[in-house]
Parts: sequence; structure tokens; C-alpha cells
Amino acid sequence: MAASKNANTNIPDYEYTDVNTDIFHIDSFRTEWLNRLHPGDFSYQPGDQDSSDALFAEEMGISADTMAELKTVCSLDSLRCHPEDQPPDTDVVPPDPTLKTLIQRKKKQDYRDTRKISKNRHDLYADELERLTFGKKSETLDDMVPEGEILLNVNVYYPAIFEKFTHVRPHITVLMMGSHTLAELRDAICCVSDLQVCGEFSNTPDMAPDFISKDHFKSAFFYFEGVFYNDMRYPECQDTSITTIEWAKDRNFPTYTQAKMEDTRFVDLKIKVGFPYLYCHQGDCEHLVIITDVRLTHKDDCLDKKLYPLLTHKHRVSTQKCAVCHVYIVRWVTTNDRFAPSNPCLFCDKCFRMLHYDTEGNKLGEFQAFPYVDRGAFN
Amino acid sequence: MPRERPIYSDFFYDPLTEDVEELLARFQQSDSIRYEYFSAAWRQMGFSDVFIGIVSMAEQKRFSRVTLATAVKYFLPPYSYQIRVGGLYLMFGLYNTQLAVPPVQIRFALKDWDIIQKFLKDSVNSGHQDVVYIYHKLVAAKAIHFTAMPHFLSFLKLRKRKQKTVCAGFIGRTMAVQELFSADILEEVSNIESQYEKLKENTVAVRCEASMTQRDFTARLKDCMAEFLTWQQKTFSQAEADNKGNGGGGDDDDEEEEEDEDEEERDYKASSSRARLISSIKQKSYSNFQEAPKARRHRQPQKVKVESSSSGSEQHYESGRKRKPASLRARTWKSLGVTKDESRMQVWLLSAPEQNERVPVKRIKQTPPYKE
Repeated sequence: MAASKNANTNIPDYEYTDVNTDIFHIDSFRTEWLNRLHPGDFSYQPGDQDSSDALFAEEMGISADTMAELKTVCSLDSLRCHPEDQPPDTDVVPPDPTLKTLIQRKKKQDYRDTRKISKNRHDLYADELERLTFGKKSETLDDMVPEGEILLNVNVYYPAIFEKFTHVRPHITVLMMGSHTLAELRDAICCVSDLQVCGEFSNTPDMAPDFISKDHFKSAFFYFEGVFYNDMRYPECQDTSITTIEWAKDRNFPTYTQAKMEDTRFVDLKIKVGFPYLYCHQGDCEHLVIITDVRLTHKDDCLDKKLYPLLTHKHRVSTQKCAVCHVYIVRWVTTNDRFAPSNPCLFCDKCFRMLHYDTEGNKLGEFQAFPYVDRGAFN
Repeated sequence: MPRERPIYSDFFYDPLTEDVEELLARFQQSDSIRYEYFSAAWRQMGFSDVFIGIVSMAEQKRFSRVTLATAVKYFLPPYSYQIRVGGLYLMFGLYNTQLAVPPVQIRFALKDWDIIQKFLKDSVNSGHQDVVYIYHKLVAAKAIHFTAMPHFLSFLKLRKRKQKTVCAGFIGRTMAVQELFSADILEEVSNIESQYEKLKENTVAVRCEASMTQRDFTARLKDCMAEFLTWQQKTFSQAEADNKGNGGGGDDDDEEEEEDEDEEERDYKASSSRARLISSIKQKSYSNFQEAPKARRHRQPQKVKVESSSSGSEQHYESGRKRKPASLRARTWKSLGVTKDESRMQVWLLSAPEQNERVPVKRIKQTPPYKE
């Protein structure tokens, strides 16, 4: 499966146009860029226009007069389409647009005005996380992301177990540095199946939050290009990928190998950009993982190492509300419950306790209660 | 039905591409690569307005990304040098006028880097100071992301596979023949040929039988090439003159070889400029027609049938609103052959009355969900 190592395999190109790339090694890809670039090209120092102009004049052998002329001709004022003292209203499409883009947008805007729909909440907050960290510098130099570091844009998709999810592809997007290990990506992925609490707690509702699945079942693996990367950081971790490997062995599949998640950095990986891979935890909670972009860092990126892995997008899932108050998010699900209108029935913490326990906290009646973690609880 | 993806989430946006092509065509007509002409065309079209009217920042960012990707597209081959310069100016213009905060960066892919460097070297060598200066300004402004791929890739197949239309007028004329003409290959070929003939003469057994080669091969090849070059010269000087008139000359792609060119040659000789103008307009409208999605074309006869069987009032109603394919429910209904009288039930009826056991159909009274 490994690509043969000749000079060009590390310059990524399309395998299928506009869908995914050929396989390449990330660190070699970085080296290829760094070899081609001038260190100033990717440094974080803000570009100084004057000195760069002077340098340019020197390189090209231009006289000061020509340079001055060039500057005025190519100044940003040359792009201004409106008088300086009357900037256009940037929220409204101007009347009678001539550009086709604007004609289309005007149509859309007019249509939107006829309908009384508030703005799309998803759109409104879509880049909120990114905006917060834009150009953030670290306080100490040690925590700075080094220049020429690789940044990876990783999409982790929710398991497609709800019918609705086959259409919308909800996911979280995490920005990772090349020096991160896969284990750090694992820790950055927040999935409700890690937070479930197993067991029936109707007798002792206060005990419930102590036992979440993440602490019980720590095994997980990533799959990239024929290699299973297992999480083996804790003694209780098991190799959950071996089942698949053995199964594949009997069935004439290419042989798969194994490695440790915590020992593998992103720069060591060989991947295809845009190609779906797998993250599996809790035994059978399977997420698609797609690396959508690999690039060098830029001075506008978040430069504080401590903030990475950086969550830049999170899909907002609608939450289930309590059957009693219809206000708070569900925390409990009960079965065989004589007080409940349905079986099973969902309750928020407050309503659940008010309905099922007396003031001393004694259980009233017969029912089973299971803690419930809502998918949208961490929007 | 799959939900509509948000606007501007594809790599390119068609109306924008048309605008950009319009701008570049104006720039091309100026027959110059000076920045003044570009900025004049920019101001004339009010091009910085493309960013106006987007309220949501997420949408703004997506749109910026699309515009910059479009500009980069014209900055890279297969376009002619002038158009690529236009692409560079466009990158500069769009990057500096975008309203997204923080600004979206231009994405250069590693595989395109050598091409970009060659472009710069050519520009420096031919002394196009403004071209190089604009590029340096972009670099100094840190406007560039050095990436693996020109776009974000998430294993999504583009829903409608558009034919990649390369704006023909923007492509430089084929240089391959000229290069071949000037290279020493012809000489080499004739040398090999004479060597071969000599060897053939020496071997008695094959001398008479073998007659695969043509003795005057190089001379004939030369003639062909010369003919092509004179034709190219003639056509392009004509086409350039036309360009000023109608803004769209017929250049050829590298792949489209001589048959096409011959045809066009005849065209050009035979027709007056007015006829050519008309034919170009026609061609344009035909190509527009073809762009309509296939599915709709297939559906057309069916629709006619549906309309003809519908009652007068409904027909009137239908023509007023947008044509949509009948819903799955409607089509199922139709295939079941259920008519209106049989089904006077409400949607909210959960079980069908007993006399109507055959198909548990439900129906709204007022608006028929399907066209019949």
C-alpha cells in the first residue's frame, strides 16, 4: 500500500479531480514547500511595504521615479469604485446591479425579504470559533507555533446512524498541527457515546455522573492508509482493531498493519487529502475522518500552541427537551414509569427529581431510571 | 430529498465566473497588460461591489474563497499570458477589496508553484514591472496560503458535473508547431532517414521489398507546418480584429487539431464578418441551451402530455408557477391509478375507513399534490 518513494510522490496531485489526492507523506510535503520558499514568505513578521518596495526596486533595477510612479499606479485606490467619502452600504445589494453575481444576490435578497425568517443560526455562528482565535499570539515565545509548521484541517463526522444525517453530514472541524499525535486528536473529539452512563440508577440518582463510558472503555483506533493506530496509553486499553485484521486475513484482503496512536505524529503519516478514514471508539461508535486541507501556518492563524487542537466548526444538533417542562435538556430516561405519559419518557434533572422522589429523596413508586446524555447537550 | 447545501460552498460560482470573464475580456480588448487598463476596467464594472450585500460573515468568507479561487484559476495555465496577468491583478484586487475579517487568503498549491515561478521569471525577463510588483505586493501582504491542494477536499462529488468550459478566447495560440519548426528535430529526422536509406541500400534482401518510409517525409512535414503557420497568422490577425468588434474570437485548444482548424479556415474565408458575428451569437445560444440539465430535457415531452390532459383552470394555475417534477407521492398515486373521487380522506387520518381497504391513501381536499 505504501507509495514508492520517488521524488514526485510528495507533491500532492489529484487522484480523482476535485475529490481526493494521491497518497503523500506529510513531512516530505512540508520539506518540499520549505525548499521552495524564501523564509520571509511564511514568517509571522508583518510585511513591511516600504522595505519590500525598496528591495523590489533594487532587484529589478528601477529608478526612484519609476518606482514612485509604479506605486501610484498600483495603489489600492485604483480599485475603489465609489468616492472615498461615500462608501456603499455593504449589507444591502445596490439597486439595479449590472454584475451577474449581484443580480443573483439581489433576487435572493428580495425573496428573503418577502419571507419572515430570522437568520440562519448555523450561519450566524458558523465561524464564531474561528473568529475568537484569529491572529491570537501566545504570551511566551515557547508557546508560539513555530514558523513553517504544518496545519491540518480535520473533519470528524458524526456516525451516520440517524437517517437525517445521511443528508447533512454534520461534523466537527479541528485544526491540528503537524507535530500533534493522533492521541491528541482523539482527545479533541467530543462524542456523546463517550459520555454515556451505563446502568440503572433509580435508587441512587446522585451516584450517576461518576461512571462515564470514556473512563470505562478507553480503547479506540484510527485507520489511515492500511494502518490501524491503536490507543495504548492506559493499561486497560485493548487492541480493538485486531478483530478486523484477523477477519481480513482470512478473506484475501491486503494485509493491514498496526501502530500506536500516541507514538504517531501527523507529519509521520502518509495520507490522501480528501479521503475518508475511520475513527472508532467505544467498540462500535464509528466516525469518518477526512483531512480536508494541509498547509503551512500563516501569521493570521492562531499562534498559541496551547489552544491547539483548535475546534473551528461544530455542528449544532437540536436538543431533546424534558417531557414535563419543555424547557430544559433531557438528563434522564425512565421506563415502566407509572408517572410518565409515555414509555420510555424523557425528563430533565429537576422535573425528574420532583416527580419521582419525596423531599427526603426517597424513591416513590416503581420505575427504572437511566441517565441520558443528549446529542446536542454540548452545542 | 437531500438538503440544499449553503450557497457558495462549491469551488466556483457560475454567475461570478461570468462576471470575471467579462472583466477579463475587457482587459483583453485593451490589448495591453498594463495595470492601468485593468484597474480602469475594474472601476468601469464596479467590480469591488461583488462583495456587497452579504450579511452573514460565514457566507462572506465562503464567497471570498470562491472569488479568490476563481482568480487563481485564470492565473494558471492553459490561459494566455495576458489573461494570466489579468488573473494576477484580479487576485490582487479581490484580496484587497474583500470584506471578510480576517481576510481569506489566496491558496497556492504545491504542484502549481513551479508554474507560478516560471510565470514570474518570464515577467521579470520581459521587464513587466507592474506584473512583478503586484505579485510582490501580494507576497509582502502575506496574502498567500501555501497549501497541498487548491481547494478544501471533503470527498464530495460535485452534484452536477459541469462540463469544464474553458473560455476559448482566453487561451494563447498553439505554440507547439512553431516550436517544432524552430527546433532541430527536423534535421535530426532527415539525418536518421538518410542513414536508414543507406543501410537499406546495403542490405540486398530487403532493398526492394521494404517501402515503409517516404523519402520526402521531412520536406512534406515542413510544408504542412508552414501552411499551418501561415493559416494561423492570417486567422489570428483577423480574429484579433474581430475581437474588438464582438469580443469573442475563435481560438483553438491545444487538443483540437487540424481538422477543426481547417473547417474554421473555410468558414473564415467564406463568410463576411457580419455572418460570422451571427454565427458566433448562435453558437453561444446553442451552448447555453446544452447547459440545461439533461434530466429536464428528458422530462419535457412528458410534461407536455401531463399538461394536455389537465383541466383548463389547473393549466392556468400551473403556468404561473415554477415547473417542478411531480412529487414521489404524486407519481405513486398516478401509478396506482387512484382518481380524486375515490379518496376523500384527510392527511391526519391514521387508518383508512374499511370500505377503502385497497390502498390506504390520504388526501388533502383543496390543493391537489400532483398534476393530472
